[in-house]
Amino acid sequence: MDIFLQQLANGLTIGSIYALVALGYTMVYGVMKLINFAHGDMVAASAFVGLTIYTQVLGQSTSLIAVVIIFLLSAVAMACVGVLLERLAYRPLRQAPRLSAVVSALGASLMIQNGIMLIWGPQMRIFPELIPQIYWDLGGVVVSLIQVIILALSLILMVALYLFVEKTRMGAAIRASAIDQDASRLMGINVDKVIALIFIIGSSLGAVAGLFIGLYYRGITFNMGWQYGLYAFVAAILGGIGNIPGAMFGGMLLGLFQAFIAGYVSSTWADAFTFILLILILIVRPTGLLGERVAEKV
Amino acid sequence: MKNLEQFGFPVFLIVMAILPNVLNSRWQAVAITFLIFTVVALSQDIILGKAGMFNMGQALFFGMGAYITAILNAKFGWPILATIPVAILLPALFGILLSGPIIHLRGDYLLVVTIGFNIVFVQVVQNNLGGVTGGPNGIFGLDSISLMGTQLSSQIAVYYFALAVLLLTLGIMRNLEKSKAGRALHYLREDQLAAESIGINTRAYKIFAFGLGAGIAGLAGTIFATQYSAVSPEAFEFLQSVLFFSIVLIGGSSIPGIFLGVFVMFVLPEVFKEFATWRFFIFGFAMILAMILRPRGIWPATFGKIPKFLIKESNNGA
Repeated sequence: MDIFLQQLANGLTIGSIYALVALGYTMVYGVMKLINFAHGDMVAASAFVGLTIYTQVLGQSTSLIAVVIIFLLSAVAMACVGVLLERLAYRPLRQAPRLSAVVSALGASLMIQNGIMLIWGPQMRIFPELIPQIYWDLGGVVVSLIQVIILALSLILMVALYLFVEKTRMGAAIRASAIDQDASRLMGINVDKVIALIFIIGSSLGAVAGLFIGLYYRGITFNMGWQYGLYAFVAAILGGIGNIPGAMFGGMLLGLFQAFIAGYVSSTWADAFTFILLILILIVRPTGLLGERVAEKV
Repeated sequence: MKNLEQFGFPVFLIVMAILPNVLNSRWQAVAITFLIFTVVALSQDIILGKAGMFNMGQALFFGMGAYITAILNAKFGWPILATIPVAILLPALFGILLSGPIIHLRGDYLLVVTIGFNIVFVQVVQNNLGGVTGGPNGIFGLDSISLMGTQLSSQIAVYYFALAVLLLTLGIMRNLEKSKAGRALHYLREDQLAAESIGINTRAYKIFAFGLGAGIAGLAGTIFATQYSAVSPEAFEFLQSVLFFSIVLIGGSSIPGIFLGVFVMFVLPEVFKEFATWRFFIFGFAMILAMILRPRGIWPATFGKIPKFLIKESNNGA
């Protein structure tokens, strides 16, 4: 039982990180029908940007204001990278065959990943201890302050995003563009702006997730984006890609699943089990758990 | 295009036949790598370019072929040449069995599932399932090719072996283009619904494409294992699949385009060794640039030939 509760806590933490990253994939996919392979590497880049802000700009301060500044600046930096990426690498390919944009995304991913390596070096860097190491022992289950913050902040961000998309005019524009870009244009929606907005939101959520990864795991490497990006992408597909609550649900599900695999089976098989789960779910439900069944268009 | 086939191919053949005799051993190794990766890229082209299925796990079949040869040779003492049928058939069988349940998935879902197959394969090999794959270190100490009692241990022998396999693959591709199956795959890629409505069994042809592509990649794996007389999991990582995927699309899914793609991705880095750390950064940039400038690939494939009088007539009529 102790293992169960402990892995539940760990799973919710890692699941909320996956969910934040998955939101970036799913929102871009929803509107552009493009797998933004570079998203995972932007998550990794955010951790390195946060590290540099901490050492170079803030003089290694760990006050609350400093932590808030790190989060905000990293989010703004990644939002800029996201918008730039869309402008330079994806917008020229909107009318091109779909796979061209996929190759462009793969290229962007390689560029960002190796850009990180060229700037910060290939070796593992240690992320600063921004949040004090406080642990609570709840009857055999150890929960850290970092875990509580990650979970709480992720939930707040996800609820805020959900309300934004469901209740505001800009949110309605996002939903409309996801359904039909041309019709949205006819209704007076500036689809270019919507896409830029999506990259801003997705990239800044990814940036927050990148800092969480740094805080939680401490060690950050230039190529970790592949792994987290792939898991988050799997999470988005599990929930039904293009579906915002689906990404949140899929992220949590995958985090819990991996935690229980690590707790009860073995962490050396985590990847294999993750993809076996994905394949089984897709065989049963080809559009993911919360995805709508789309009729073949004729 | 016809001129290219008539004159380009013999020239290419002569150059490739003479090549190993003028290269030193380091460049012979590079030339072998070029041949092997071209075969894998061509096998990927059958699945991705010809049949239009988003497969991003081709390194799985390549690696499976390599591992089959390595295991049978190093652990069970089979001669290299005797492992070839198994190294073709088993990956082909896997391609058929794995693609069966997932073939109906929409493009991007198929893509992520094939990534998943690749990652599961690497993890299985790394964790030394069944105790025969050698774990993270892989397997080393393979025999060289022996033909009728003589050991062909030189690199030149491996080179000609690889060249023969490449020619075989090119022959298969050529026949495929001119055959019923090739036409079926082409219609299937252009419009699955229309293909189905004129009586093409799309499911069977998709699985056929997977099986054929997997078998050829498996054969390429055999040469790869022979060249290094070793195999290890890193050579078949998901990143390799990404490269094969990109080569086909950047090349434009045509044979000259794929040659060019493999040359740029695997031979140029050998030339510019001092830029090793910049390699993937530059590749990434080049991939974006190539797609923006030529969204259909550098050398787009054309299918079949439209007779001249038809083109003229339609122009006059318009």
